[in-house]
Amino acid sequence: MLFVELLSNLLLLTGGFFYLAGTVGLLRFPDVYTRLHTLSKADNLGLGCLLAGLALKADSLVLALKLLAIWPLTLIASAVVGYAIAHRADRLGIPAWQREKP
Amino acid sequence: MGLFIASLLRRTVGFALIWWIAAEGSLVAWPLAVIAVAASVAVSLRLLPPGKASAISVIGLAGFLGYFIRQSMLGGFQVARLALQRRPQLHPAILAVPLTLPQGLPRMLLTGTLGLMPGTLGVRLEDEFLHMHVLDRGMPITEEVEQLAAHIARLFGVQR
Repeated sequence: MLFVELLSNLLLLTGGFFYLAGTVGLLRFPDVYTRLHTLSKADNLGLGCLLAGLALKADSLVLALKLLAIWPLTLIASAVVGYAIAHRADRLGIPAWQREKP
Repeated sequence: MGLFIASLLRRTVGFALIWWIAAEGSLVAWPLAVIAVAASVAVSLRLLPPGKASAISVIGLAGFLGYFIRQSMLGGFQVARLALQRRPQLHPAILAVPLTLPQGLPRMLLTGTLGLMPGTLGVRLEDEFLHMHVLDRGMPITEEVEQLAAHIARLFGVQR
């Protein structure tokens, strides 16, 4: 079971890395649209890795299934919220950030 | 009528399975489970009448999921790289791509999935176009949307 343990830890670390990168992007990116990009992608992949890692450590099959069921539900929420915020920003006329011409 | 009953049974089994998973296999609260499953089936039949979603093909679903997971990884790495660069190489723009999928569920799935995939974020669904924000204008966006639309068309078994 050493292999499963190792794979699980690797997945947890990878998940943590994507959350970290997503948070750094959220702080560094210039406008609402680019920040939404970092959130939905980090959620998607970071959470996927974390849940897969935790499912490998789960005591029972049903608990592993429960952990894995969280992923699609969060993805649906993330996609809908991302679209809703971007749509609202667009309706308010917020322009997309552009790199200034030198 | 046969279609309705088949749909009713399928959804009841599906929601019961979700309850069983959420309750971690314990059936102590079964009266609550019966009410919750019945209510979920009623709401789902009202929001998505039978016959519309039953055309989903299993092979199409597998192809779609495989494509989605592959693209998600690419997107995750791309955004992580951009976020951690010393000077993020962003070239954002809002583009409009023509929609070839039928209205309703297929279009909503396209918009939602694009928001989770590399460098794209749906901003506005309007008439026959999807306006979306992209992180990098230089990426082959149109091809990507085409590929995803083809997968979704196969999933629902619709013509484009």
